[in-house]
Amino acid sequence: MVVQGRGGAQALVGLAAALVLAGCGATIPSDPEGTLDRVTGGTLAVGVSLDEPWVVLEPGPTSDDVRPAGIGLQPAGIEVELVEELATRLDAEVEWTVGGEGSLIASLEEGDLDLVVGGLTSTSPWSQKAALTAAFATVRGPRGEDELHVWAAPMGENAFLVEVDRFLLEHRERG
Amino acid sequence: MTRTARRSLTRRPSSFGHTSLPDEQQEALRRAEHLAWWTIGFLVTAVVAVYLAMGSSQAMKAAWAEDMLSFIPPVTFLVAVRIAGRRPSAKHPYGFHRSVGIGHLVAATSLVIMGTFMVWDSASGLLAAEHPPVGLVVLAGQPVWSGWLMIAVLAYTAVPPVLLGRAKLPLAVALHDRVLHADADMNKADWMTAAGGIVGVLGIGLGLWWADAAAALFISGSILHDGVRNLRIAVTALMDARGLTVDGEPHPLDEQVDERLRALPWVADAQSRVRDEGHVFHVECFVVPRGGLRLEHLEEARRAAADVDWKVQDVVVVPVAQLPVELLPGRDEDEHGGVV
Repeated sequence: MVVQGRGGAQALVGLAAALVLAGCGATIPSDPEGTLDRVTGGTLAVGVSLDEPWVVLEPGPTSDDVRPAGIGLQPAGIEVELVEELATRLDAEVEWTVGGEGSLIASLEEGDLDLVVGGLTSTSPWSQKAALTAAFATVRGPRGEDELHVWAAPMGENAFLVEVDRFLLEHRERG
Repeated sequence: MTRTARRSLTRRPSSFGHTSLPDEQQEALRRAEHLAWWTIGFLVTAVVAVYLAMGSSQAMKAAWAEDMLSFIPPVTFLVAVRIAGRRPSAKHPYGFHRSVGIGHLVAATSLVIMGTFMVWDSASGLLAAEHPPVGLVVLAGQPVWSGWLMIAVLAYTAVPPVLLGRAKLPLAVALHDRVLHADADMNKADWMTAAGGIVGVLGIGLGLWWADAAAALFISGSILHDGVRNLRIAVTALMDARGLTVDGEPHPLDEQVDERLRALPWVADAQSRVRDEGHVFHVECFVVPRGGLRLEHLEEARRAAADVDWKVQDVVVVPVAQLPVELLPGRDEDEHGGVV
């Protein structure tokens, strides 16, 4: 790279200094869309796709907390329990949306969901559309390779992502 | 490949073709080669570290690509210097000095191609409003925000190139080596890539999603700028432009050779046509003798021109009754202040 005059270099140093000063008043990282603030003490919108034993659906009473409305099913399973624990930590109510991975990820991109869970692994092709979290479980896959189980969070909501990562790292286990 | 040619590739050259180097240039060449190897060694560590810390940051990706591209100039320099060291042969009577120009052209072209691709990549990331996710990594058992790791790695890559670049610049001037000069220039300004990357990652940290792509665009833009600038210089040199310094200014040697020849008592007028072959100049001197011309005069003129500088060894002296205007364009411009 070639110096394009002193002006460019000075502008860069100035910009870095401004960012550092701005950083003093803010938490790093923070969310462009404020997901963590909104969820904490509020509602955690979670999309679930069926993948035994991580997410299963059990017949249950029709509940306002589960969409589509009137589905008459209740999510359960390893990941659902983990989500509920995370919600307790964030002092949040969980609102479940049951659907296929594709439509759930699309809702995540739109900002209608805060998390998508259901047997996702770190090699998931969704990594271009969603932020994959830290792995909470390592499972021997069908071909003998290690599969790292992860969740999907909205892109770039890094305060929220770090909070979820920290929670999952604390609950990490080898299966 | 002949045996001599093969040997000249493996042995450290102390000459450029049959131009033997003065002590200062030999020392400069030795140090420049050491620095090239140090640069390659540093780049290996930088590329590995940046790759491991990269994550989803566009700016980190751009910084990584720049580090990868930074391998080209020192490698090109080492190869070009070895090839230029070969003696002229029947097949290559002018020697192998052009290897420098070819290396320069190849390096510049790769910068242009990569720069264009990266400008496109980061601009489309910016337009698509991509929000880069940066989560936690576990480092020595401790969860750490990856952004801090990225910043630490970028800070590491900022300092050594600047020192290397500063050390190389005077050597490039001493050796009249454009590849080395381009390399030094890029190294010297490399801290801006690192600083740009740090700004981008800090921006992500502050929730400014666009800062990352904007920083990547800045880095890619500077790669492209480097490429275009070097491409222009390399092509100019290969097009047999007049002798230029490594900075692209007209080289003072042209004038010095002419003045030396005009100072000879038997010379009425003299002017040379100088071709920059790479490290060395090939000079054709046209001299208009006063009265009778003897063979010793021509020998004297050849030695006088060659004594001006180590770069001027390959000298042809042509006695003429009148300076050939068509072979010395620009002469009338100088004397009459306008193009004929």
